[in-house]
Amino acid sequence: MALFKKRPAPSDFEREALPHLPALYAAALRMTRHEKDAEDLVQDALVRAYRFFDTFEAGTNCKAWLFRILTNVFCNRYREREREHEIMNEAEASPANVEQFLAGVGADAADAESALLGHMVSADVEKALASLPSDFRMAVILADLEDFSYKEIAEIMDCPAGTVMSRLYRGRKMLQQLLYQYAVDQGIIKPGSHADVAPPAGRASADANAPVDIAAYRRRHRGSEGGGS
Amino acid sequence: MNCAEADAVLPGYCDGELAGVDREQLERHLASCGACASRSRLQARFKAAVRAHLPRPPVPQALRVRLGAVLGAREIAPRRWLWATHPRLVPAAVAALLLIAITGTVRHSQSMVLQQAQRSYQAELPMDIVGSDCRSIASWFRGRVDFPVPPPDGSCQGGRLVNVRERPAAYIMTRGHDGHRVAYLVFDPRDESIEAPDRRFVNGREIYFGSGPGISTAAYHDRGLGYVVTSDLDEDSLTRLVTANFAMSSHQGP
Repeated sequence: MALFKKRPAPSDFEREALPHLPALYAAALRMTRHEKDAEDLVQDALVRAYRFFDTFEAGTNCKAWLFRILTNVFCNRYREREREHEIMNEAEASPANVEQFLAGVGADAADAESALLGHMVSADVEKALASLPSDFRMAVILADLEDFSYKEIAEIMDCPAGTVMSRLYRGRKMLQQLLYQYAVDQGIIKPGSHADVAPPAGRASADANAPVDIAAYRRRHRGSEGGGS
Repeated sequence: MNCAEADAVLPGYCDGELAGVDREQLERHLASCGACASRSRLQARFKAAVRAHLPRPPVPQALRVRLGAVLGAREIAPRRWLWATHPRLVPAAVAALLLIAITGTVRHSQSMVLQQAQRSYQAELPMDIVGSDCRSIASWFRGRVDFPVPPPDGSCQGGRLVNVRERPAAYIMTRGHDGHRVAYLVFDPRDESIEAPDRRFVNGREIYFGSGPGISTAAYHDRGLGYVVTSDLDEDSLTRLVTANFAMSSHQGP
């Protein structure tokens, strides 16, 4: 007579969860920006996961389930709101108009690409990522480093898919701006050399509305065609 | 699809989230618009470059060991040690004997282990083992750390396996009658400095005092182990508590 669900064996947990330890630790380190905190965060997330392992449905995405727990523990404990607002404002008020720079067409665009991407070094990318507000940082980590889909990220971060897209869009844009600024500071890119490049027609309005999720795009598109299903 | 519309769905396209008619429309636009095609390429390349520049850091061996100890042996019932069953002294009597000899204050920067203890205290880290009996909590660490953990005085809240300089260590949270939380970090003090801004001699023993916002910390060596006691008590009360612990440990034979 089984009144209670059998507690999963430690070996089940080891087999399902522990292969994701490197991904969890990498994300924890980039979220907390501190090795000891990252170790604590991973320990707490895994202990929690172990305690609630009977609620995990075998065959579903264990990595996403673990990341959801990791994110929860992080948000409950490590998030430093005030400091992040300062960083975000700084990033958004950055005078480096990378958008304009990157909006250059033809040969200029190729220059921009090679200037920004060709000289990228890991330490700069780590530093830029570390300066993002935690919601944006988490979205970038989940999408760009861990290959989660928008739907999975929405579940992990407990927010609508549209919010995921917005955080991802802004997070990447801030990353580009910061990396652009580093390149300017290091003399790799000359500031203002492309400042006269005007964004192509229509881009400004797109930027004002961006990010736009696919559903919003469809609605707008249907609207401009005068309705229809 | 125009450029503004393409711009809006480009991130989704680069993330492989755009399908069906939306994808077809965008690809048709990209085939005819050099600027958008270039932006699309840049977004894809940027994403790939960020990923290529952010490899996963190696998982510290100490964390693996700690997880193995915390997760692997969770079901084992705690055992008791005989030496931990000695009666406790009355702290008030000990406090009466308190003699503090301050031989001068030497300024040191706070060592890593004090900072770690303060951070753990402030973060209110969850416990791996929960219980009010300090002896059970202390004995839970048997086999998880390389030394016997003396049970602290008072009512326990729980214990947590931590690392101090890559070696497993015990973190025990207690709560006094007055509601103050007192945390004990017990560790193998080899290669680990316990220096802090304030050094004092209390009853002939060297104690380092440090502080963080709203908390104070005392670090000392006792019977070959390193201790960092962190609390929201004021420094005088913490000193009395630490001194009482000394008096107790000298009455507790192994």
